[in-house]
Amino acid sequence: MTDARTFGFMLTMPVLAISQSVYAKDYLSVPQAQKLLFPDAESFAPHTVSLTKAQKKAIKKLSGVRQRWDEQKVWKAVAGGKTLGWFIVDEVVGKHEFITYAAALSADGHVLGLEVMSYRETHGDEVMQADWRAQFKGKTLGDVFKLDEDIANISGATLSCRNLTDGVHRLLALEKLVLNRG
Amino acid sequence: MAEHLRSRPLLGTYVEIGVPGDGNAATDRAITCAFEAVGHVHSLLSFQEAGSALRAVNAAPMVWHDLPPAFARVLRLSLLMMRRSGGLFNPTVGGALIAEGALPGCGDDLPLPYGTADDIELIGNCVRLRRPLALTFDGIAKGYAVDRAVKALRQAGMRAGWVNAGGDMRAFGDHAIPVSRREADGSLRPIGALQNGAIATSLVAPHAGDRFPSLTVSAGAGVPMPGVWTVSARYAWQADALTKIAALAAPQHRVALIRALHGALIAGPQEVAA
Repeated sequence: MTDARTFGFMLTMPVLAISQSVYAKDYLSVPQAQKLLFPDAESFAPHTVSLTKAQKKAIKKLSGVRQRWDEQKVWKAVAGGKTLGWFIVDEVVGKHEFITYAAALSADGHVLGLEVMSYRETHGDEVMQADWRAQFKGKTLGDVFKLDEDIANISGATLSCRNLTDGVHRLLALEKLVLNRG
Repeated sequence: MAEHLRSRPLLGTYVEIGVPGDGNAATDRAITCAFEAVGHVHSLLSFQEAGSALRAVNAAPMVWHDLPPAFARVLRLSLLMMRRSGGLFNPTVGGALIAEGALPGCGDDLPLPYGTADDIELIGNCVRLRRPLALTFDGIAKGYAVDRAVKALRQAGMRAGWVNAGGDMRAFGDHAIPVSRREADGSLRPIGALQNGAIATSLVAPHAGDRFPSLTVSAGAGVPMPGVWTVSARYAWQADALTKIAALAAPQHRVALIRALHGALIAGPQEVAA
């Protein structure tokens, strides 16, 4: 996060300054994600899963992805006495990213939907020397520099979501091996 | 200002869609429609996904294919950009990307590394590849998907909003969004505010990595200049494609060429180093 005072100060510095900070966004709470992914559900019954070593090993074998934790937060989405599917909150960790997401799986083991709940990324903040703004003179990206706002959008090389895709494979294995057994 | 934001994994990256305000059922529906628009483009144009319309075309060159309208539109835009950039933008480099390991193979036979605009026959919504090539829209599809999402938001009644598909973004309406650029070393640098326009950034690295899987290759002449390339334009498909042209253009022509193709180079590696 960069605020105007820090930035103003940095502009007077003659050299590049770099500091570590966390880029973070919270998108959805658990109830919000539940409502989006299972709009027809009447209730969500908590169904915390505790995994044995053997189950974790089996999940790894089936999905090719390591199940790091012993407990997985799962809710059973129910309407009219019928199970609509499973709502699972999961986390994936990348080199710089930490992502919490919600997955909706059908009772027969298909992905019904995915929503990112929160995203964290650690990075170096870079504030260039005073004349860096001059480089953008005459360029057409918007008309103003809003230095007093949090920097909320990153344009950059496309970040892979492979970690999350792997996470979903792991959850599908968990569903098949553990949840399906009631 | 309050904003209603959501994010889904799509197009191999994280797609974020936002509208100003606290959010309600109508904004949620609009954002869901916009995600579905992105998902539709993904299902048509994914090189990786079995069953995509693009895979079907690549699997059977020299045969006429009836394309879904969005596919034909992207192909038409790609050919336009290809011709106007003198071939710097090239959607036929799938074979070269497979050979580099940046894209998965699509059968036993390796396609030709790349072709020319004349290798693609497009009549109405029907296409035929004249030679065994592999089309890839990795240089334009993400931007196009962003444009489709913006259209979906507008059709759902949103007066302002923005879509960010892993760094390719577009904002519309009376709402400016602050933008930072991720540099090659992972650091973030503020580059301005975006309003009623699009911006895209591409990293030209020698090899595709796990975290940033894209790779820019040259079809014939020229070597992509390593660095981070950022271009703004009216539409996201333009900005997306123009970053590849920026990386491949001869330095003395780069700025003028991008401008002639209705974009603006925001910051290339040489500016960063200045």
